Amino acid sequence: MPLAYQINWTPVLDHKHAFLVGAWINVWITLISFFLACVLGIAIALLRNSGLRLLSWPAFAYVQLVRGVPLLVFLYWVYFGVAIVSGVAFTSSQAAIIALTVTGSAYTAEIFRAAITSVDRGHVEAATALGFTRRASFRHVVLPQAFRIALPPLGNILIGLLKGSTLISIIGVADMLYVAQQINLDYFTPFEPFTAVAVILIVLVAIFSLILTGIERFLRLP
Amino acid sequence: MIAAIVAYAFRWSIIPSAIGELGHGVKVTLILSGISTVLSLALGLVVALCRMSGLRLLRYGAYVYIQVFRALSLYIYVLWIYFGIAAGIGVNFSPLTAGVIALTVLNSAYMAEIYRSALDAVDPGQREAALSLGFGRRHRFFTIVFPQGFRVAFPSLVNQLVDIVKDSSIIAIIGTTDLMGVTNQLVSYYRAPFELYTLVGFFYLTIVLVISGAAALVERRLNRHVH
Repeated sequence: MPLAYQINWTPVLDHKHAFLVGAWINVWITLISFFLACVLGIAIALLRNSGLRLLSWPAFAYVQLVRGVPLLVFLYWVYFGVAIVSGVAFTSSQAAIIALTVTGSAYTAEIFRAAITSVDRGHVEAATALGFTRRASFRHVVLPQAFRIALPPLGNILIGLLKGSTLISIIGVADMLYVAQQINLDYFTPFEPFTAVAVILIVLVAIFSLILTGIERFLRLP
Repeated sequence: MIAAIVAYAFRWSIIPSAIGELGHGVKVTLILSGISTVLSLALGLVVALCRMSGLRLLRYGAYVYIQVFRALSLYIYVLWIYFGIAAGIGVNFSPLTAGVIALTVLNSAYMAEIYRSALDAVDPGQREAALSLGFGRRHRFFTIVFPQGFRVAFPSLVNQLVDIVKDSSIIAIIGTTDLMGVTNQLVSYYRAPFELYTLVGFFYLTIVLVISGAAALVERRLNRHVH
């Protein structure tokens, strides 16, 4: 019979600053990875839509391959595998950003592809008729509209990356879960620090969704 | 300086013996995700029905369930259940049990939403027709509404199954001998992280592709009456 567990929030409250710093690390790693995943995703979506089989096929293979492999495998693969093969020792945050970017890009690529396809063909034709070059019509006509269509699913990916970023303490990034594990090791109180992390994550997800809803409302057409 | 960087010698020769070891891991991964899928399919349906019920208490309870359990990541659930809850209430879960609970709790919330939108998508006329033909409540749901809703929900449910398989790799952190756990053991034994993590990546990819392939066949069969 185990001893009755005494709930004791003091260790967590004493380290609330460490939790906030850890949460901030989760947030900025998520934001950087999301930005890079969007850039990479647009590039892959364009390759897939290019019409050239030589370009569209590798892009399709990339998306299928990346979507079939868990984030955890990517984290280990980049941090331990690629590092030892290439001789480049990534810091743990660099490895985390690379893994999150690669995983995210496969999903953003599909979202952008669907969004670009769903932009009305008539707009491209109108731009061509007005003398826009191919690049200008993509940059000024297609992409802004595609972005508005893509925004809600992209928000889901952003929140998915935020949740995925809780894994990065495994390769040693000092995020909020790392702080929780340290407190668990120092004070033998597993319940409170992990609960604290859960609450912080719920709050972060809520804040992210509020901001995304705000942006969507701002961009909505009258 | 450059001489200090020793060219890495690939050791692909360990792969055949590693594949034998990973076979056991595949079994554990499939059992883990299989049990979790069945449980979250059932629990998800119950939550979806509560969410759509006329009783406000059930509806709000299900809403809170869905919102809370979708907001967290699997890793937090795993640590929380395996270390936190275990210490808090004095129950010792095995890593496998903790993993199944975590996967079920998280995915049942997602599946509840999938069921709900699918059941909403069933033409109300079907329900009314069943009503006018004198079907009872339970009969109406299980023979008329649910089969049609399930067909709509099927592709999303398969996506969720794929996520369960991929997410189950996280359970290895608390010490199961699933695909990921076996790989980590092999990496510390052979010291060949690149080869082994690449290999396990292809194992997961294969499982996922087999599932999606099988699902495509089932989907075609489910849709055979729909034109």
